[in-house]
Amino acid sequence: MHALPAAFAVALTLLPSLAGATEGVLIVHSNQRITPAGVVIENTIRSAVPSALARPVEIFSEYLDTEWASTEALAGLQAEYVRQKYLARDIRVIVVSGPQALRFTARHRDAMLPGVPVVHVAVPKDELEGANYASDIVGRPLDIDPAPTLELARHVHPDATRLVVVLGAGERDRIWEERIRRATQRLAGLDVEYFKNLPTAEIVRRLGSLEKNTIVFTPGYFVDGAGVLRTPRQAVEVLASASAAPVYVPLDTFIGTGAVGGFVTPYEAQSREGADIVVKLLNGTLPSTIPAAPAVPTPMVDWRAVRRFGIDERRLPSDAVIRFREPTAWDKYGWEIAAGAAIVLLQAVLILALLMQRRSGRHMATELEASQARMTLAARAVRLSSWIWDVARDRIEVTQGAGRHGARAEDPPMTLPEVLAMAHPADRTRVARAVADAVDSNTELDIEYRIQRRSGEVRWLAVRGRTEKDAPQRMMGVTLDITERKSAELQAERDRAALTHMTRVSMMGQLSASIAHQLNQPLAAILGNAEAARKMLDHERLDLAELKDICDDIVTEDNRAAEVIRRLGALYKRGEMTFAPLDLNDLVRETLDLVRTELMTRHVVAVTELDDALPVVDGGRVQLQQVLLNLILNAADAMERTAPDERTVTIRTEVDGTRVQLCIVDRGTGIAPDAIKHVFDAFWSTKTGGMGIGLAICHSIITAHRGCLTVSNNPDGGATFCAGWPVRQAA
Amino acid sequence: MTQSTLPTVFIVDDDPAVRKALSRVLRAEDWDIESLESAEAFLAHGKRTGTGCLVLDVTMPGIDGFALQRRLAEEGRAMPIVFLTGHGDIPMSVQAMKHGAVDFLTKPVNGQALLRAVRAALALDASTRQARTEMADLEGRLASLTPREREVLSAVMRGKRNKQIADDLGIVEQTVKFHRARIMERMRVHTLAELMHVAIRLGVESQPGDASRT
Repeated sequence: MHALPAAFAVALTLLPSLAGATEGVLIVHSNQRITPAGVVIENTIRSAVPSALARPVEIFSEYLDTEWASTEALAGLQAEYVRQKYLARDIRVIVVSGPQALRFTARHRDAMLPGVPVVHVAVPKDELEGANYASDIVGRPLDIDPAPTLELARHVHPDATRLVVVLGAGERDRIWEERIRRATQRLAGLDVEYFKNLPTAEIVRRLGSLEKNTIVFTPGYFVDGAGVLRTPRQAVEVLASASAAPVYVPLDTFIGTGAVGGFVTPYEAQSREGADIVVKLLNGTLPSTIPAAPAVPTPMVDWRAVRRFGIDERRLPSDAVIRFREPTAWDKYGWEIAAGAAIVLLQAVLILALLMQRRSGRHMATELEASQARMTLAARAVRLSSWIWDVARDRIEVTQGAGRHGARAEDPPMTLPEVLAMAHPADRTRVARAVADAVDSNTELDIEYRIQRRSGEVRWLAVRGRTEKDAPQRMMGVTLDITERKSAELQAERDRAALTHMTRVSMMGQLSASIAHQLNQPLAAILGNAEAARKMLDHERLDLAELKDICDDIVTEDNRAAEVIRRLGALYKRGEMTFAPLDLNDLVRETLDLVRTELMTRHVVAVTELDDALPVVDGGRVQLQQVLLNLILNAADAMERTAPDERTVTIRTEVDGTRVQLCIVDRGTGIAPDAIKHVFDAFWSTKTGGMGIGLAICHSIITAHRGCLTVSNNPDGGATFCAGWPVRQAA
Repeated sequence: MTQSTLPTVFIVDDDPAVRKALSRVLRAEDWDIESLESAEAFLAHGKRTGTGCLVLDVTMPGIDGFALQRRLAEEGRAMPIVFLTGHGDIPMSVQAMKHGAVDFLTKPVNGQALLRAVRAALALDASTRQARTEMADLEGRLASLTPREREVLSAVMRGKRNKQIADDLGIVEQTVKFHRARIMERMRVHTLAELMHVAIRLGVESQPGDASRT
């Protein structure tokens, strides 16, 4: 009877720290916190593991910074640090990102987290060959062989006779050099030249004067010959924009920097597979049973670079993923358009068949049946159905096809209330109103909404219908299942929100000195007051009025510090844009508070021309503040070469009817006429080290407010950025 | 003690709350506190050439802390400066100290540290002033010598004997002896070593004018 509780007690004393701890996953990154690949791996693991696992899980991350800090002694300290730090956590799986983290973890695991299985992500195949890791170190190796990319480049540029390989000056670069030398041995007919251990400026100079018959290959680098530290993506960005010859790369995060492309295994796919393995391990699968075939790289190219180097599109592999191409209507809905056209054609055939049937009677009946069957098949493939609604009698008959949304041609007619009942509760009123409006005003019905199946599954439908001219009490229409497209749209929206957030946080990083100053001012006042009060208490005669005044000042300053933190918290927080009424003038003042010190140290004077008559406007507070911050800091950057006493940034608000306008005017060098149309393009920047994302994000934020962001040069020097959007943002 | 003899501690910071708190910390001491919101206000202040020191914020609109430091250094009668900053980094503190700041403190600043720094600054001010007063006194004594006495002093400084000096100047040795006694009296020194020491401080040995006659 007493055995069981006793056993429990023993178990609890043996594992005191683990009692009640949530299962944990530790991600160990090879490099610094903000490498593009690291960010993708981090985000994917953090979203994919919890969503696939039906119970709570904690995810932690450590960054080894091996690109600049990699010594034996340090590794020992890092291992001990990890051991101490996670003593009270229940780490069940370690994810290592990159080869250095794998080497580190394999070596120090016993001292750090003994017996915890390891999943590796982004570790090249050649790194694993012959390394003989323990059987509980698993993962899909990354096929990083440069050969397919080099062959692709040669195929795309048949006239090329020279290959330039650009490398940096670190350990990673030596490994890459070996890899590339192996690959080029199999590649005849190209003169290979290595640019390595050179300062970036020198590489840039050499790349700028390359001739047409050259192709460039680079895996990027962390450290150049001058010892300057970058992320490899930043390196590629600098190289690709300077290079007169097309640049080919082996990693997907480099596509978008100006490089043409290459055979890559996207980090997101790698991380997803890693996350799958993590979930399997957490669910009890034995590590030794997990397969380890390398993923097959896919060709990927940047359409803008393809155009820039005049590459013949037909020479690209047919399965190449083409990025940064504005999709045409055909690209977006091609499948639906084709299917729609097929149905129209089939309908014509059907009419013809009917006519002929009249003539030849029963002979055609079988033909007709067959054609209808084909038509249904086609409609089913695109999940399209057409229907007729007899409004007066409220009978909806599905005439053709069937979607996964339920209704079938052979089903009995439905009524409007039945259709509405299938709609998602959140969309129901909206659908009912749209239908009523279309019927009342004899206009087209055009609506996208969700239905919820009994199983709980939610699908998106697009419904388009029209009341017939001669019979207003009848509506004909089609319903299309658009769930896949919709979820892709939603994902894109989430990605954009994540990027917006990342950009904002990195901007806050630039402002850290200013933020520290803002917080230290009230803290200095609090400390001074408290010390003065304590000293007063040592005196015999207390000045109570003064003491009270001191306490009041402490409270005021404390509130001031709390307000600074509250505002910062909102900016650091990650979240979707929510529209709420706000005072734009207040937002301008608040933002200027935040950049006050930054502007002061750069000798920039901020002038405000705020319209007192400005109404309360709807907007995403945090995102608009991000736009303001970005434009103000840009203005300050633009005035670096302006005489200090002329560095003025003017922030103006004004209202024009139902639109509100926010303008930021600088007195800098202005924008070159040929550059002005690219200002809002993503990955376009005139600043050294600029990511070229800030203004593109600002543009997308203002667009989301149904407004527009414009730029013009001032007649008396400098540039003006104006954002205008409607005061009301009706839902 | 009258007010004018108290040293003045100037607190220059654009943040009124910080100024108020700092003056509370410093008020308990026997100092005159002047709390100012800008470098411009300090430059316009009547007492800025008196005894005292500056507690100066680095980041301010208009003339910032470093610019004020430079400007005072150019004037040549710089008041000792204790810098305060909301976000100090090492290059900034190096710059401040290289240009003669007494201390470079980061906000929020500990009261004891601030008091220590201000005391050090005032002590430095007092000793600089004393040295300056002494120097002025010595210069006064030197100015009281006649041109002939100055010539004799220079010759003595170059280690010449009375006989030589007499020959050089074309006078009798007895007159040289007389001049030397007057010099000792006017410079208020008692021994030759003392005279040499004072003259070196005043830079007499490098004075030209009589070397051409030898």
